[in-house]
Amino acid sequence: MRKTLDTGNAAITEGAIIAGCKLFAGYPITPATEIAENMSRRLPQIGGYYVQAEDELTALHVCIGGSLGGLKAMTATSGPGFILYADPMGWALGSEIPLVVVNAQRVGPVSGITGAPGQGEFYLSRYPTQGGNYETIVLAPNSVQEAFSTTVEAFYLAERFRMPVIILADQLVTDGWESLSIPETPEEIEAMGLKVIPRRIKEGPEFYPATDEIDIPPVVLGHNTGAACSDWTPTPEGYDTEEVDFQHKHAYRLIYKVRNHKDLITRYESYFVDDNPELVLVAYGSPSRVVISAVKQAREQGLKVGALRLISLWPFPDEIFKVQAKYLSVELNYDGQLVREIQRAVPKGSEVHFFGKCGELPTVAELEELMQALLTGKEIQARNWEWEAW
Amino acid sequence: MDYLATKYLRPRKIPSTACSGCGLGQVHKKVVKAIDELGLEIGDVVWGTGIGCAGRQTFNTWKGDNFAGTHGRVYAITTGLRLALPPDKKIILTVGDGDAFGIGFLHLLNCARRNVDMTVIVCDNLGYQSTGGQYGWTTPRGIHTDSSPYGNYENNWTSEGRDVLNILREAGATFLARHTSLQGQEAVESIKKAILNRGFSLVHMPYPCVTNFADRALGSRKPLVIYKWFEEHTCGLKDKGPDDFAFRTGIYYDASNTRPEFSEYIRNFVAEVQRRYN
Ligand code: SF4
Repeated sequence: MRKTLDTGNAAITEGAIIAGCKLFAGYPITPATEIAENMSRRLPQIGGYYVQAEDELTALHVCIGGSLGGLKAMTATSGPGFILYADPMGWALGSEIPLVVVNAQRVGPVSGITGAPGQGEFYLSRYPTQGGNYETIVLAPNSVQEAFSTTVEAFYLAERFRMPVIILADQLVTDGWESLSIPETPEEIEAMGLKVIPRRIKEGPEFYPATDEIDIPPVVLGHNTGAACSDWTPTPEGYDTEEVDFQHKHAYRLIYKVRNHKDLITRYESYFVDDNPELVLVAYGSPSRVVISAVKQAREQGLKVGALRLISLWPFPDEIFKVQAKYLSVELNYDGQLVREIQRAVPKGSEVHFFGKCGELPTVAELEELMQALLTGKEIQARNWEWEAW
Repeated sequence: MDYLATKYLRPRKIPSTACSGCGLGQVHKKVVKAIDELGLEIGDVVWGTGIGCAGRQTFNTWKGDNFAGTHGRVYAITTGLRLALPPDKKIILTVGDGDAFGIGFLHLLNCARRNVDMTVIVCDNLGYQSTGGQYGWTTPRGIHTDSSPYGNYENNWTSEGRDVLNILREAGATFLARHTSLQGQEAVESIKKAILNRGFSLVHMPYPCVTNFADRALGSRKPLVIYKWFEEHTCGLKDKGPDDFAFRTGIYYDASNTRPEFSEYIRNFVAEVQRRYN
């Protein structure tokens, strides 16, 4: 085990290398650039390739091409680059190309502030391309160590589900410095609860079964299996078709291979939710750390509050919102993206509130004030867009 | 095509769904003939396509491995694929003029700059024909299309002293040629040279679209009319040619195997880093 002090960007790099990543293509963008720089240094040392692309479209397409040829691939970007992935992302989802896409979220919209954290791409990570008819797998680490393990896991899920997996981080996680333990042997990797599977190769010309099956090897070109894949609606053999029947089968596969195996994906942490708390705070990524501190402190003061920290964001873990309570969604945006999903998932009779910050974390004191107010039914002074009762 | 089709193409895809009289089949046949004359096996070639008439009609016709990308992106996909495949695998792309010289031009130029080993056959139907017939980046000036009802007023990449092959040469391509689909063995020979070049090769092949281009530009869907128009407008690279517009054909540039190829260069570079730093 190698112990070091480093950034989330370094943790993602090392996670990718342990997972067997052999190709990184990216386009420089703050705050994700450091992942590219780290990859350009580390990949050649282990026989892998770094490609600096001419734009984001190229970056993800190069990854798709590499993965189609049998290389595990990853790319990393921030919001303005992530939206440009919309075009190749459809290709990767539709053709079931395993790869990993990191988004270090920053403040938006558009270019916004380059070096400040945001959480504005929650829905964009659910619907990152046109056409619909798919599910995505999205993971959100909240620490440097977890950025490492999430990356290894993202590669693992990408291979098993035969699709791109998105790591939705934020600038504080990727740029933040923390202690990092990197396993060095297969035993150490296993002891950390991490799994690595090699790339398998789909034999024969069949492109996909029209079922929800997972663990089907992806199409790999160059082995003369007669493999075919494209951006068109495929027949099970990979022929392009205009027939709606095949579209149904394809859509069924893309949606239900994920939905029907949700238990393999869903990850979360819960704090004090077993004794029917009156108020549950919900967050993901870096604000979840403040939330957890605030909730622990509030419990010590006797307040009946709990917390849910989402690690997998999509498919959305509806089933973990079990208690009827007041909920408070804490996010790094002002428009409340997570809050809408919570509203949909909570039991009848629950209330959902929202607290948003952008570019900086909420403080424990701010959260305490809100918790007190929500528990006592006290009026809270309006704080513009930061605070809203939904 | 029969013998070649049986040997190399998927029965379910041949004959293709291209309009009858379309020149695309001639381009397709020349590529397969070049492969055959080079003695390549099905497993030696990975075939990629884009969309539009050229992409759609040639996708998955190859009996071996196939892929297709969205409009203009197949060059970027090939850059990644090239790194993953053994160097002796040939990657042949059949794409349209909108794909290569419009939406995908940035990718194409960067592939030429990097000298990524691929053979790009630009099947040029002089505009956007699969969407019904709009002008494109090789449509001659003055020509009527559905989106230039008063005649095309845009400067294009292939006339009035401009030649898209000049740009690709400057960008770093190592083999460049142009032939119309009506030309014979000389076109096949150029495609063979393109495939043999370990680097970025492009063969620009204008072909007659009877359904849309011919109808709007020449007022007739009779194949003979556009075939004749093609012949009248074809000349050698150095010839004076007709005043209004010409397809200048021949081997434009042959620097085959003179510049390091992208994937080979990276592989050697990586090996050197491993030797020096591990
Ligand atoms: S529209 Fe034109 S280019 Fe397309 S298949 Fe028909 S004739 Fe050929």
